[in-house]
Amino acid sequence: MPKIAKEQRLKRILFMLSIIGPGLVTATAGNDASGIATYATVGAMFGYKMLWGLFLITISLAVIQEMAARMGIVTGKGLSALIREHFGVKMTFFAMITLLIANLTTTIGEFAGIAASLEIFGISKYISVPLTALFVWYIINKGSYKKTEKFFLALMVIYISYIISGFLAKPDWKEVLKNTFVPSFSFNSSFILIFIAMIGTTITPWMQFYLQSSVVDKGVDVKNLKYQRWDVFLGAFWTDFIAFFIIVATAATLHKHGIVIETAEDAAKALQPLAGKYASALFAIGLFGASLLGAHILPLSTAYAVTEAFGFENGLNKKLKEAPVFYGLILLFIVIGAGVILLPNIPLIKLMIIAQEINGILLPIILIYMLKLTNDKEIMGEYVNSRTFNIIAWITVVFIIILTLILLVEPFLGI
Amino acid sequence: MANVTSFYLSRVIGNKVYSEDKKVLGKLQDLIVDAKNIRPKVIAAKVKSGKNVQIVDFSFFIIYKEKGQYVIETRNLKPIDVQKEDTIMLVKHILDKQIVDMNGRKVVRVNDIRLAILSTGVYIIAVDIGLEGLLRRLGLAKPLKKVLKPLGKSIPSRLILWDDVEPLASPHSDLKLSTTYSKLSTLHPSDLADIIEELDKKTQAYVFSTLDEEKAADVLEELDVEAQRNVLESLPVEKAADLLEKMPADEVADILDEIKEERAEELLNEMEKEASEKVKELMDYPENTVGSIMTTDFIAFTTHFTVEQTIQELRRLKPDPDEIYYLYVIDNEERLCGVVSLRDLVISEPQTPLYEIMSRNVVYVKDMDNVNSLVEIISKYSLLAVPVVDDDKRLIGVVIINDIVYELLKVRKKLV
Repeated sequence: MPKIAKEQRLKRILFMLSIIGPGLVTATAGNDASGIATYATVGAMFGYKMLWGLFLITISLAVIQEMAARMGIVTGKGLSALIREHFGVKMTFFAMITLLIANLTTTIGEFAGIAASLEIFGISKYISVPLTALFVWYIINKGSYKKTEKFFLALMVIYISYIISGFLAKPDWKEVLKNTFVPSFSFNSSFILIFIAMIGTTITPWMQFYLQSSVVDKGVDVKNLKYQRWDVFLGAFWTDFIAFFIIVATAATLHKHGIVIETAEDAAKALQPLAGKYASALFAIGLFGASLLGAHILPLSTAYAVTEAFGFENGLNKKLKEAPVFYGLILLFIVIGAGVILLPNIPLIKLMIIAQEINGILLPIILIYMLKLTNDKEIMGEYVNSRTFNIIAWITVVFIIILTLILLVEPFLGI
Repeated sequence: MANVTSFYLSRVIGNKVYSEDKKVLGKLQDLIVDAKNIRPKVIAAKVKSGKNVQIVDFSFFIIYKEKGQYVIETRNLKPIDVQKEDTIMLVKHILDKQIVDMNGRKVVRVNDIRLAILSTGVYIIAVDIGLEGLLRRLGLAKPLKKVLKPLGKSIPSRLILWDDVEPLASPHSDLKLSTTYSKLSTLHPSDLADIIEELDKKTQAYVFSTLDEEKAADVLEELDVEAQRNVLESLPVEKAADLLEKMPADEVADILDEIKEERAEELLNEMEKEASEKVKELMDYPENTVGSIMTTDFIAFTTHFTVEQTIQELRRLKPDPDEIYYLYVIDNEERLCGVVSLRDLVISEPQTPLYEIMSRNVVYVKDMDNVNSLVEIISKYSLLAVPVVDDDKRLIGVVIINDIVYELLKVRKKLV
């Protein structure tokens, strides 16, 4: 008897592992170039002061990603198709414009990451950026993107070194713990902007579309919803666990010495307790992997979302002529993303953070659509949002909107 | 006041509904058509007044144009009962949803719907799937046209006649057509497969389950691996097993190789023993061996059969076209000893036994040979099919050129 129980348990574990994937992959990919730059800046500028924010964001992230995954499982449809079918053309257009702006700025951020990481190795952006742009276009067209994805994800494992570095830098753990659970806030625009950027890089509009499509792609059955939930929660926890240590490591090293992050090399210094003189190289490889993955995902997922919403032909198995809008959007994103970086004297790190600020400001729009959909009984049946989920998601929405409003009126109030 | 003969749905939805003495009665939310006719007529309207939504008889409605705007007028709002099975709500079920364009044989999204006003009523005539419809909904079509006109350009518009439209009900919607997907089942299986591949997974399984068994088996064969997997995993076991029994064993083996092991086993157990054993044998062959792609559905005759008997037997069996490229001849121990072509049969005297006209020089392959060797043999001897034998030279299967082409394409796709 016990043997059978054991076998069953083993089977269940194996089954769980087979479902795990979309949530973890999406969340990990969310720690992209702009994410790293934002977290590092958070730590360098404000020390441990924003850790409480990250703690709360993690809960929001888990809840919101779960909504996207649940929608994908229950309806079998992507987010943009659902938006189109239930809100009509005008509202879809609005959602897609939002997504386009947010994703385009993020794509620019990814190319900034590519330029910044390779500059550490002394490669000029005028060489690295056009070459990677061509590479991205090539991989997408060859259709081998899914395989490449795993390779880039593997490169991002390097960020585990932040965890070790965070310990070696001997932070004041009491201070860390206190700041994780006790909020502190200051009403100046740089604090608010960075705070919005931190939300914007952790919970992004693109991640919702991407995650829902991945879940649909995987074809998980409704009865296995609870396993998918664990995948999503694990992803949210894991990505913010790394974010937490990036902030701790940069706070303990850079903030303590008053270093402001202006270049990628500044951000790499936080890894010095672990890697010493190799810190820059280690950081550069990780950042490169993260940026390159983002530079693939963003054009591709945007093109899928927009064509799905408006009924244009899409898919990598179609030829360029058969799906001109689909490929056109991908190309446009790569060209603009890379093109902006090639402008002379553009501040790379700053650009990555601006991208996240825009993402953060636009996030509530997408979240409101998601909330409407996940509360619709006709779409979700018995799987509509629970009260707790609604409260957490709405608090997130309202909180970001309030931050944005403060940001808008702050210059006039002179606080 | 100007009469109109046709209009777009988007131009009237959301408009106010007036009484004859110009009092506002409510807002038009939806139009309901009877789905039984080829040219469906609008029979009811959904009107919202305040918080009250009601379905009312459309025969009291008139639509006309005043100062460029559509005016909806009705003598009264008389509630009417409509049957869900025989009606379609245009906004709820068609607008913005995916439909199948039967002429273009693909899935498209509906941007707008064109209706015609005839003396006998209002009818749907076409759906708009083009860019113009999209822009019209955004309120951008008219201004853009004005800008483009002097340049001699226009916005492409694409209408599909309603006759060529098959609405798709998703499992969640309450659209229930009395004759579900009757148009779809007239399509060629590979066209239908292309369409099903483009749908979301739930709708895929739903559409599939409404096809009759013969059609479903043909379509299943043509689907891509992903869709096959989805369909077989979401259909009830008995139904899926019935489908598989109708398919050639080699195709079944290919499909079962791709789905979850547990489910494959379940299906094999549910299938008839004879059919499932054939499949199991094929599944045992390692990948890249001839055995893994051969079909076990072939026709063979023993050496003493006469030409007449052979032809009679063929008439009885009515084999598929690709099964009678070559007729293999075997001895009493099922060993391959010759091949006869249809030509040989036709030009010979009825009483001639097969061993007299067969060619003894048969090109064959062994079941454990590599697939690559097949390509060489087939192109070298310009064959349409190759017999497969086991170690004792017993005839156990045939590889048809189609399967090899498929195999080659698969390899190429993997490389890409």
